[in-house]
Amino acid sequence: MTKVDQELIEHMSNPKNYGSIEYADAMGIGENPNNGEKVIIYLRVTNDGGIFTISDIKYQAIGCMTTVVAGSVITQEAMGITFDIAEQLVSVTLGMLENVPPEDAACSEMVALALRAALDTYIGKQSNPEYGTISYKIENNCTPLEATHENPTD
Amino acid sequence: MKTLLIKTHELWIEMLMASFMSQDKNRETLNEFADITFRHFTWIEHQLIKNGESYDYNRDSIPIKVEKLSVILSNISNRMSELDLQLAGCSDPKLANRISSDIKYIRNTISKMSDQNITAFNASRELKDIVLSAEAIDALTLFLFEESYKEYELIMIYNHLKAHSDDAYLNRIFQIMIDESQFHLKRFGKMMAEMGILGVPRTIHKSLYQVEDVAQFLRDGIDEEIAAKEMCKELSDAVAKDSKEIAEFFDFINFQEDYHISLMREALVHYEETYLDV
Repeated sequence: MTKVDQELIEHMSNPKNYGSIEYADAMGIGENPNNGEKVIIYLRVTNDGGIFTISDIKYQAIGCMTTVVAGSVITQEAMGITFDIAEQLVSVTLGMLENVPPEDAACSEMVALALRAALDTYIGKQSNPEYGTISYKIENNCTPLEATHENPTD
Repeated sequence: MKTLLIKTHELWIEMLMASFMSQDKNRETLNEFADITFRHFTWIEHQLIKNGESYDYNRDSIPIKVEKLSVILSNISNRMSELDLQLAGCSDPKLANRISSDIKYIRNTISKMSDQNITAFNASRELKDIVLSAEAIDALTLFLFEESYKEYELIMIYNHLKAHSDDAYLNRIFQIMIDESQFHLKRFGKMMAEMGILGVPRTIHKSLYQVEDVAQFLRDGIDEEIAAKEMCKELSDAVAKDSKEIAEFFDFINFQEDYHISLMREALVHYEETYLDV
């Protein structure tokens, strides 16, 4: 059973960065292919001489409250950081999940992969403006990580 | 018209939240006003569909954390003033007049409401006259956050299905599902306010309510209702030793899900026979 504290209540009652960005610079999707749950991350990016920084980030979740809380925590961490640090954030998050039971890890993994997908989509758009939104599938339901491309929907 | 829909959606939720916060006779009045505002929302939506205009259920975040009821009532009043101005752009003058008349009465009524201190955000996680174990309180807290969103989501999905269907048989079922979810949302919302953990349900992604495969939606929905029954049963078991009253309430919700499942099965059979030639 999850221990509920004030911080968790705050994330549940007022998830940080929840929503979408109109005309986002990039979107990314993390999805669970087994039940249709997904996380969509929207990025606004500043490009300072090839150094990409996340100037705004939002997310939407089609999933449970655990996914919403994970999105609130991870997007807060990602706000204002460079892509290099954001990739480290993704790697550290996924690394921490290795010791967590798969069913508990799936929600955070979905958010981390959505962030990675958004970063990769943005990078892809630099060489091809028509580059589609990347969607990564989570591994924690024994589904290998794989990338697919979708047409942007927002 | 699209802005009118968004503003009315926001007003409905803000009014509903204010009703949860209120602890005196204002609660019932605000609750009724929330119901009226939801009906306005459906009328505006119907007009948009008639006009062939695209729309969605996106909305801005709605700040509700206040210490006094008068603050949120003032915010609601301001929102209604904006809405009244927006009505000038409504393509149906009769509809605009009807809504405007309601707004005038509602604004006048809430301006006379007595003020109260608000405890809906104090995170006390206590229920009046009921003492639950820490484990039961945690289980109840998680359930309320999860399910209050879920009920809001269901209201919007069934509302969207109903708005886009001319099938009287299906619409009768969709309306019952909307009414049932409205009831659940209100009961959960009041409980959350009492526990000091009230929050606005998050916005819904359009892929959820713009249902492309109605039969599959109903099949998935039946599975979800069965899972919801299990959640209610677990919660009832978790609180049973501390509070017979709360346990009985969640048993009651659990048994209501049986009715929902029956209705959704009826809707599925009808849909398959009528539209899929199954």
